[in-house]
Amino acid sequence: MLKPLVKGRGRVKAEVVKIETPISLLGDFDPERGAIHGREVAGRIVALPFVKGSTVGPYVLWSAAKSGKAPLAIIAEKPDLMLVTACVLANVPLLQGVVKEQCLNLDLESGEYDRC
Amino acid sequence: MGVEYVKEMVFKIADAVSGGEVVPIETAHVSGVSYLTIGEYGAQFLEHLASLGVKVSVFTTSNPSAVDIGGVLEVGEEVLKGQRRIDAALRRLGVNTFYTCAPYEFVLTRPRTLHAWAESNAITYINTFRDAWSDKNPGPLALLGAIAGFVPKTPLYTMEGRRPSALVKAEVGPLDSLDAGVVGALIGERLGSGVPYIQGVVFIDEESRREFVAAFSTYSSMVFAVIEGETPHWEEYRKEADFGDKITISPEDVGRYYKDLEVPDVVYMGCPFADVETALWVLSEVKKRGPAKRPIYISTSPSVAKQLGRLVEEAARYNVKIFAGSCLVVSPHTRRFRVVATDSLKALYYIPRLHGVRAVPCRRSRCIDLAYA
Repeated sequence: MLKPLVKGRGRVKAEVVKIETPISLLGDFDPERGAIHGREVAGRIVALPFVKGSTVGPYVLWSAAKSGKAPLAIIAEKPDLMLVTACVLANVPLLQGVVKEQCLNLDLESGEYDRC
Repeated sequence: MGVEYVKEMVFKIADAVSGGEVVPIETAHVSGVSYLTIGEYGAQFLEHLASLGVKVSVFTTSNPSAVDIGGVLEVGEEVLKGQRRIDAALRRLGVNTFYTCAPYEFVLTRPRTLHAWAESNAITYINTFRDAWSDKNPGPLALLGAIAGFVPKTPLYTMEGRRPSALVKAEVGPLDSLDAGVVGALIGERLGSGVPYIQGVVFIDEESRREFVAAFSTYSSMVFAVIEGETPHWEEYRKEADFGDKITISPEDVGRYYKDLEVPDVVYMGCPFADVETALWVLSEVKKRGPAKRPIYISTSPSVAKQLGRLVEEAARYNVKIFAGSCLVVSPHTRRFRVVATDSLKALYYIPRLHGVRAVPCRRSRCIDLAYA
């Protein structure tokens, strides 16, 4: 069970892209390609430890969301204010926790999930 | 409708991070105003907000833009147009477009007052050197907060959240600008998060203070450090401390940071923006040697450039390009370079990532040598 911080609606079933190290949304996330360190995240679920660096981050995620290049949801071990703001602006559901699965069937309101 | 919409966004963020609680703020500083970093959609977001007819309700300043005020940096037509749109939107929103990453120079925040700032080096500066309270507000939240007049009551707006959680003993110093940046980066990298209580740190000048806070907040998610003997109320913070981690920064740790130097095609100082003192020092150095072989770029705030007056033109004759309101981190001008030598650990982090240009560290006097190498 994940803790929903910025709730979404319904369920998503998608591959999980695991990012092992903390990232800066500005610099590490390419909003035009929808990729983190070259790995495509658009239409997938991103799991990461936490974000760091520039406070410009939320515009980057908002920008990606406007062109359909944002992830379906973000799961963060230690979400912070910047990631929450990014997700509220970009309307990307944010959940707190750690997942081991490669593919999730995830409820964006309750945070319940199972493997797909 | 406009203000209510903005307040609703702030409350939605507060719901996720502070149980819905908010705090009133005295000032705000917004980041994410460079067309290069926020792009078309960022510009559209600001225009969308401005079109609602809302205005900031507290004194609000802005971070550097992609275009400098005097036209020293060359940028393409697209960026120029985009930047003009952002400028117009910010003005409509009532933001004071000073375009500086060092607003602490003239916004003299008092201890224990509350602010919503969104430039990590500036937040760290006022938290650490003034004990004026700001959390790391992302650019859009600082702007939404400036309009609403409040932001979520996140940990750094509470004494509990400001309790030092790690003890750091620095066995190096006094610190010049480069060493201060390296020490800041090392503490940032090793701790990652929390509030360090730092012993043994002495800064030789204002520039080294600025470099310390910039590096510390670039290489971690932290924006507050208590420095013994330096931070107002440090004794109180010492009593409140609950040290989970203890680390030491040795001269060897600092030495390992310096890599073999490549010969740069340009030297860069002023990240965060240089103060008058730094610009005067560079000018005095180049006057001893004549025009530099490689250009020395110094970014500064419009108010410092104005104080320097005709010295800006005099510096240009020595191949020292002092420019205001932008910097090599957020300007596309940087992409024309191959290797940038800098005394800023923050620039060292961002220039390769944002522009694909290599960056190498240099101590301030060495930076000047490199301009003549």
